[in-house]
Amino acid sequence: MSFVIEASGLGKQYGRRWALRDCTLAIPDGKVVGLVGPNSAGKTTLLHLAVGLVSPTSGSIRTLGANPGEGPVQLGRVGFVAQDTPVYGKLSVAQHLRMGAWLNPRWDPGIAASRIEQLGLDPRQRAGTLSGGQRAQLALTLAIAKSPECLILDEPVASLDPLARREFLRSLMEIVAAQGISVVLSSHLIADLERVCDYLVVLVGSRLQVAGEVSDLLSSHHRISGPRRDASGLPPSLEVIEESHTGKQSTFLIRTSDPVHDPAWTVRPVTLDDLVITYMSRQANTSERTRRPQLKVMS
Amino acid sequence: MIRFTWLQLRLQLRIAVAALLALAAVLAVTGPHLASLYADSGISGCHAGTCGTAASTFLGRLAATSPYPIMYVLGIGLIIAAPAIIGIFWGAPLIARELETRTFVLAWTQSITRTRWLAIKLALTGLAAMAVTETLSLMYAWWADPIGKAIGLGGSQSWQFPGVFSQGRLSFVIFATHGITPLGYAAFGFALGTAAGALIRRAVPAIAVTLVIFAVVQVSMPLWVRPHLIPPDRTVASGPAFFEAAAMSVGTLKASAVPGQPEAWILASGPINAAGQPVRAIPPSCLSPSAGKGGSPDLGACMARRGIREAITYQPASRYWPFQWIETGMFLVLAAALAGYCFWRLGRSRT
Repeated sequence: MSFVIEASGLGKQYGRRWALRDCTLAIPDGKVVGLVGPNSAGKTTLLHLAVGLVSPTSGSIRTLGANPGEGPVQLGRVGFVAQDTPVYGKLSVAQHLRMGAWLNPRWDPGIAASRIEQLGLDPRQRAGTLSGGQRAQLALTLAIAKSPECLILDEPVASLDPLARREFLRSLMEIVAAQGISVVLSSHLIADLERVCDYLVVLVGSRLQVAGEVSDLLSSHHRISGPRRDASGLPPSLEVIEESHTGKQSTFLIRTSDPVHDPAWTVRPVTLDDLVITYMSRQANTSERTRRPQLKVMS
Repeated sequence: MIRFTWLQLRLQLRIAVAALLALAAVLAVTGPHLASLYADSGISGCHAGTCGTAASTFLGRLAATSPYPIMYVLGIGLIIAAPAIIGIFWGAPLIARELETRTFVLAWTQSITRTRWLAIKLALTGLAAMAVTETLSLMYAWWADPIGKAIGLGGSQSWQFPGVFSQGRLSFVIFATHGITPLGYAAFGFALGTAAGALIRRAVPAIAVTLVIFAVVQVSMPLWVRPHLIPPDRTVASGPAFFEAAAMSVGTLKASAVPGQPEAWILASGPINAAGQPVRAIPPSCLSPSAGKGGSPDLGACMARRGIREAITYQPASRYWPFQWIETGMFLVLAAALAGYCFWRLGRSRT
């Protein structure tokens, strides 16, 4: 099995701050991967590591089985749309396409031209005067026309209005359908990704929380409620993601590969939205857990 | 990448070329007249003894003819400023603007390594900077050629029309604006701006830093570095003839010319007595009413009679080209080192 992104113990430190740490994951090829997490969770860092804009401080990462950003060939295999889709403000749309053609040996002028026409962009217009949505579409055009094997997009729709957001994701899905390439895109809102992705990675507080096929995640997570009891009283095969207790009742969000048969529990499925929110709110617990061992060492 | 760099450079280059063309027009209009003034001055047919006078007359007339003095000064100023202007407008934003607008993310994710990206940008823009500056210098040198020749013939005394047409080829500002040194300064100014931009990562502060450092280097070079690039020669001028030739300014007791070394660059000079010790002032007896004033034969004879001679430390004019090569080479090496820093900095930006 080949992987789009394969990371092992991956960490990135800026100054004293770890933007990402202990990240081990293997995202299979041919998926549309949603990378979700709150702001400053490490999403941009992970994607910049994947395209080779930055190098890891610890661990290793391979994109499409090779060192990210190593040499022009590898750079050409990965299409990247950066956050806020920077473009050269003084250059026209047509000049951006020319740049793409000059700097990418596998450039497909047909795709570029037809997309620009389809989008109704004026090739002579300066990129600096484009709307946010148009700029994002131009950036996507540049990334796709270089004929990459995978497409990585960093918060592509964050700054777009709902209509432009829908348009952008629609173009993206058309591309995926037409080219069959792997896509990794990040967002701090699961709502943006829910409809498009079939693989999910959740990053919170510089750490990987969960990663997997959307269908697997939904079938392995359940919300169970029953008479009040401690989390420690649950069978070890159930991993507790979240717990809440009222006077008589306990509710847990659990992850398990086995079906839950205990009749004492009411088992309900979870939505993807629910699941992601739960993992995101675990941040506080996570940081507590990482602090504890240090205290032990000191005492 | 060459074509893309050219695309980005084109706009800036267009402004520079327009400025050069405008200047060329002004020089082309006034140049022939300047040359005709020179031709009419009788310098071309002069004999050894008369040349200095003819040249002085020509320069004297020129100093009184508008717009030549002002053009002469502005031209030099422009050549001196050009590398700094290029450094702040082409160099400082080269990397800093990409970082500020985050377009580097776009550039560095095309199918080109950032090393190659920078190498081509630096080489192409740097060569353009050197070409523009050297063209400016050559155009101006063509225009000012008669003035340089007249000064070379010993025309113009600084007391006659202070400042304007008195600076020889080795003097502070003329040296750095003629020959091949503009190439070195242009490469250095551009590389300095680029490196400052790479270090500070913001264009405007990088511009300020570039200006300050460039000005300091530009002043330090002629004052403290250039004089020592080749060990200077020393000579002792003596006898009434030296003083009579008015080669010495009486007020400062400094020599303004070296006997037998036309256009020499005098680094230091001062009178010394028979024992070789410096003389701080003209002996009072030589200043008696009969001795007269300023460069008079009486003063010279009196000084010579008392064994006073003038010690001069200087660089002969024949070293003009060695100095040009050394200084240009130094700035090219500095520019290369700054470019190397940019590569290092860009490599480090991954960590």
